[in-house]
This record gives sequence, C-alpha cells and structure tokens, in this order.
Amino acid sequence: MQDVTNLTRTQLDALREIGNIGSGNAASALAQFLNRKIDMAVPSASIMDFKAIPAIIGGPDKTVMGIFLKVMGEISGRFLLLIPEKTSLKLLHTLIPGCEIDTPLKMGELESSCMREVGNILAGAFLNALSVITQTPMLNSLPSMTYDMAGAMIDSIVADMTAISDKVLMIETSFIESEEDLRIHIFLLPDPASLQLLLKKIGVV
Amino acid sequence: MSAVIPVGMAELKIARCPEQLVVYGIGSCVIVSLYDPKSKAGGLAHVMLPDSTGIDPKVINPVKFADTAVPALYEALTSSGAYKSSLVAKIVGGSEMFPPTEDFENNIGRDNTEAVKKALKKLSLPLIAEDTGGRRGRSIEFDLESGIIRLSILGEELREI
Repeated sequence: MQDVTNLTRTQLDALREIGNIGSGNAASALAQFLNRKIDMAVPSASIMDFKAIPAIIGGPDKTVMGIFLKVMGEISGRFLLLIPEKTSLKLLHTLIPGCEIDTPLKMGELESSCMREVGNILAGAFLNALSVITQTPMLNSLPSMTYDMAGAMIDSIVADMTAISDKVLMIETSFIESEEDLRIHIFLLPDPASLQLLLKKIGVV
Repeated sequence: MSAVIPVGMAELKIARCPEQLVVYGIGSCVIVSLYDPKSKAGGLAHVMLPDSTGIDPKVINPVKFADTAVPALYEALTSSGAYKSSLVAKIVGGSEMFPPTEDFENNIGRDNTEAVKKALKKLSLPLIAEDTGGRRGRSIEFDLESGIIRLSILGEELREI
C-alpha cells in the first residue's frame, strides 16, 4: 500500500491536476443548471492531518450541508461536498419553483432529494472526467445528505482511514459565484489501498 | 473566568474544577467521560474507532480506539489523584451522520458506542448516563464542578446528562 506521507512533489502535482480537470467538469455542470458563471479556485492536493480539515470550512462547529458519496470501482475513495447554508438555500430556490424555505432545517423530502441530485450531478461530472483520464471506470454511489456541524461529518468520513496514520490525502477545490458569494467545497479522498493504481494510471508511480 | 479546554479528535484531556472541557462537532466519534465527584477531577477521551486489534503498538495512538482509550483515560485520571472507587462514566456521540443508501452503510458510530461500553465494563466503571446514536452531531461542555455534561444539538433544545 502506498503510504500517503511519502508522496513526492511530482505525484502531488499530478493529483492536483486531476482535481483540476474533475472539478472543471463539475463546475461547468453547475454553471449549466444554475445558468450563471461559476469560478473555480485553484485545486490543492495535499497530505493533511485530519484534525485540520474542519478549519478549511470555518471550524468543527460550523453548520453546513454535507453530501457524501462513495467512489466505486478499481480506484475507490470518498467524495464529499460541503455547501454553506446560503448557497444551499440559493440552490433550492433556483432549482425548485416556489421553494421558499429559509433554513435547511426545514427541508422536506423534495428539497432533500433535490440536494442529493445536485451531489449526484457534481460527483458524476467530476468522476467522469477522472474515468477518462485514468481509463478506469469510476462510479459514484447514491448520495447521502445531512445538514449539521462540519466536524461531526468529517470525523465520520475519515475515521476508518486514519487507524494508523493521522494523515489523509485530500484533493480539494471550491466553486465560487462572486456576485452573491455562493460557494461549494469539493473534497476527494482516494482510498489508500487504491492510491498506487491511481498514480500508475496518471503516470507518476 | 475559568479555563475552557477543547478536546480534539483522538485526544485525551484531564481537568479539575473550575476548569471545563469542551468538544465541538462530535459525529461518529464517542466521547468517554470519567468523573470523580470527590476530587472534582475528570477527563475526556475522544474515541474515533472501535478496535485497535492488529495495529502495531509502536505507532498506535491509544486514544483513537475504544479498547485502548478507556484504560488510558482511567490510568491518566487515577494517576493524577482521582479516587478509583468513586469514578463514574458518561458517554456521548456515536451518530450515524450520513443515512445509509442502497450502496453503502457507514455506521462506525454504533460500533464505537458498543466497544466503549465493553471497555468500561471490563474495568468495572459504572456507566451512569449516555446520549448516543441518532443522526445528529453533538457539541458538549463538561463541567468539572458538577460532573454535568451539557449537550447542544442543531435544531434541538439544550440538554444535560
């Protein structure tokens, strides 16, 4: 198994590049269904201490919408979208005619299903691009969604990846719509067991 | 103002009255608290996984795993002067944050809760209260004056155990 802490600069650069291509594809999917211009932050691929992850989105007790999917196939991993309250409401108001809820806590089945579909589309677009580059089919599971504290979601997702090391490999990017300050954070965490294959497929073993 | 000490994932902290221990954003993790009402000393362990079997003892962080964290907390507290016979335990957390879908189930929270209970039993530490399971994240304040744990959960009333 490839130890994430031993990744070279070149390998991290290559992982960042696939993050770039994946999120580029996801950003255009988002721009299409919101019908507005979406900017993409420069992705990062980094080896992070899991304790530092919640700080990226404002601390462990920051309330956000989380959409979680598993990446399935020879190259497997976890895919997480974290969406601040303001952006999730904007998505709901745009995508569901007549939707007027003012907090995600009031989401019903229709709203939940709509947000899961957003996760499905973005993950699908991201992973499609990766499947093409790696010539390895990567599928996403059905999405699971919650609205809660970021720290509580992250501990549930990384716990079993950190039995030995405190470090996880994370490819991270965010989408920003500057006019209304809408943001979506995307995290891809490849499973340590399939990292070697991923590196091989992108030519940086 | 008394000191408020945060306890992060896989950390163990001991404190005494008038200090407070706090944990923000507990999901599938389980927080084990041990408290000695006589000396008003207590501690928290922030457990992430149920079982350390098979992990190389040279690299292990014992606080990560239920089976090793509970003895580590007990050890740390009793060696700092708490009375063994008066220690009581409370546990919080162990949620299933993401509901299962047809493709996966991710319920480490349930396994963590069971493993912590087993480890407490092994040391004959009485579990006097718990707030575990469900689908919500929790934040807590552990008051070393009273031994009370205050819980905040999104969209719910504050409660105490």
